[in-house]
Amino acid sequence: MADDSLLVEKITISGATLASILQRFSSSPGDVDGLLFGHFIRLPPPDPNDDDPSSSYSAAVGSTTLAPFAASITGYFCSGAPMTFYDSVGRIDPHSVRRASDQDRLPILLGWFCGRRRTHLRPSMREIAVSNSLFETLTPASAVDPAPPRPCIFLLLSFSSTENLAIHTHEYRGFHLRRKPVGSGVLEPRSLHIVNIGPDFRGQYGSFSPDSALPWMPLRVEDELAQKETLRSLQDKAAGQLLLDSAADGFTMERLAHLIGPGVAEYASELEDLYRNMLLKLEGLARLVEKSSARVLEQENKNLKIRCRLAGLE
Amino acid sequence: MVSEPPLPPSISAQLKYLLVHSPHPFRIEQIWSGCKNSRFSDRFTLLVPFCLDYVKWDIIYNAFYPFSAPDIVFSLDDEEFRPLLPVSDREGGAEIQARLMRSSLWDWNSKDPSRLFKLVHEMRDLYVQYQRRRVGEVNDARLKFEISTILSREGIEVCLISGPDKSEEVKFVVPLLDVNLNKLVHACPWKQEQKIYLQVVFPVSKSYSLAPLAPRIKLVSSSQLKDLLSVEDVKLPSWVDGMCMAEYLPSLEDTLIVQVMEAVAFVGARRRFIEALVPKFGRPLEADPIFCRKATILAVTGVFTFLVHFSLSTHFPKQQPTLILQSSQHFNSQGAPIMSPPLNNYPWSPRWDAAEMVERIFDFLVKECTSFKTYCLDAVVQ
Repeated sequence: MADDSLLVEKITISGATLASILQRFSSSPGDVDGLLFGHFIRLPPPDPNDDDPSSSYSAAVGSTTLAPFAASITGYFCSGAPMTFYDSVGRIDPHSVRRASDQDRLPILLGWFCGRRRTHLRPSMREIAVSNSLFETLTPASAVDPAPPRPCIFLLLSFSSTENLAIHTHEYRGFHLRRKPVGSGVLEPRSLHIVNIGPDFRGQYGSFSPDSALPWMPLRVEDELAQKETLRSLQDKAAGQLLLDSAADGFTMERLAHLIGPGVAEYASELEDLYRNMLLKLEGLARLVEKSSARVLEQENKNLKIRCRLAGLE
Repeated sequence: MVSEPPLPPSISAQLKYLLVHSPHPFRIEQIWSGCKNSRFSDRFTLLVPFCLDYVKWDIIYNAFYPFSAPDIVFSLDDEEFRPLLPVSDREGGAEIQARLMRSSLWDWNSKDPSRLFKLVHEMRDLYVQYQRRRVGEVNDARLKFEISTILSREGIEVCLISGPDKSEEVKFVVPLLDVNLNKLVHACPWKQEQKIYLQVVFPVSKSYSLAPLAPRIKLVSSSQLKDLLSVEDVKLPSWVDGMCMAEYLPSLEDTLIVQVMEAVAFVGARRRFIEALVPKFGRPLEADPIFCRKATILAVTGVFTFLVHFSLSTHFPKQQPTLILQSSQHFNSQGAPIMSPPLNNYPWSPRWDAAEMVERIFDFLVKECTSFKTYCLDAVVQ
């Protein structure tokens, strides 16, 4: 069992993601929980040190699978209601996390988080069980080799404010589920680094790999053969257009081709046009989100009232 | 600090059921709300009695989801206590599944007021086992021997005490006397079963120390038992070097049962004394009918009337009653009746029969009342 758990030495989270989680938590009426997404980054091996036999390096020496990793949280999902993907004894419902744990999906499922107001920052009885169950339930069934690491990160948040709401205190603590050779896993606290812009995080940007949502830009070649519209090229074009539509509003594949190849003079205006259409798309999405959020809120309030009535609280 | 909102009815019913029905004295330390602008609180700190002490557990409900099962945050020292996971290496997947299915968390029903009671007792039982396992892992030959000889005794609790600035110790709490003390007392008012415990604290020996240190021994009783018997007064047999608890307990229980029986017999002696007051002083105004520890009579001499409060110790008749006189005619500046200091400097012999005891006290009071009257007048003048 020990071989499939990574040695996670630290957890990093982008400032924007953490702020978004905190905002989601503090704006919700009660406790929240959800899933964390991101990726694992292999850390450079620590300097060999023969003075300290207990250092993690010497413990892991000879085993490449135990090289230290950093977990980088880049996104999250929060349904707004607690206990949506596990039950009262802390067992994961595999169906509700199946889509989140798709193996070919990027970023991968790193773990989960729980925000509870005015409580100690210690994992509770159920949180420990959920973390273990999440690790055990989601056995990688994909053919990807090597199998992606299992979710082993837990982020615990607490929030409190003074009675006049003058001071709000947000606390958070990251944990890593470390498997023991026998028995169940232990949640060990890990340092949580918040990635921001600044010289301290230059390393982060060095290791940044862009993940573009834009389709492959076809290079216009004045060639009789390449111009021929095969079924394959039409298919590719349609797929490309679909991808482009998800990023920009009303920008055709043909125009994308203007951005490379000859015709340098057109670059600037075409690029500006692309950005303009991207902004249009974003605004459209924002309006959509705003409308649906209002409806979700309305529905949540209705649900809350029904729940309270059922519990005889009114 | 603002007052927190109340618990919602379903949670409050569960909490009341726990506090009323539990054989263990649970307590609530703090109740607070974990929701924004909620009319209800939904979390509280439960003090769980364990090893003659309390451990603090935070019980976390969710006021917005009152049907959901609660969660528990255990205390800082108990990070290893993980009751929803296999509790020992021997517990496999099937066993843990069977245990969880028996758990009251499995199909939580918030409308059943006994659910929290079941959950908390289930967790407390697991906690007792967890502490036993921790103590079992301590590497000390004497403790290993004690555990192997004593741990089968029913109701025994052990815990490991360790801290950053003190050496490790193991505390044993052994319930003594296999008799129901409540049944010994006629018309017993105690709701919870009263018990006497022996608390033994063993320092964990370091491998280099030569002789193991003697344990610290103390008798502790449940709080209401002091009306019948004060266990602090019981003289403990001495602990001889090289002794073990299995040897120590039988002799202790023998002396203890004698004392308990004596204490029960003393209730009868006190009752006879109070009954003997009647021919001399008239019927008492007030008397403790169960343990017969208190009685008050009204005395009159000429126009001066005063009350006499008798308080009888658990050692009566070996120890004479303490008398306090209270005037019913003289009051101090605050309006409180004037009382004499406690009196027990009058002739006494435990060998007298009850009638003679009362006779002697009567004679003493006849002499004493004049000086008490002067005392009262002096106090009023001031």
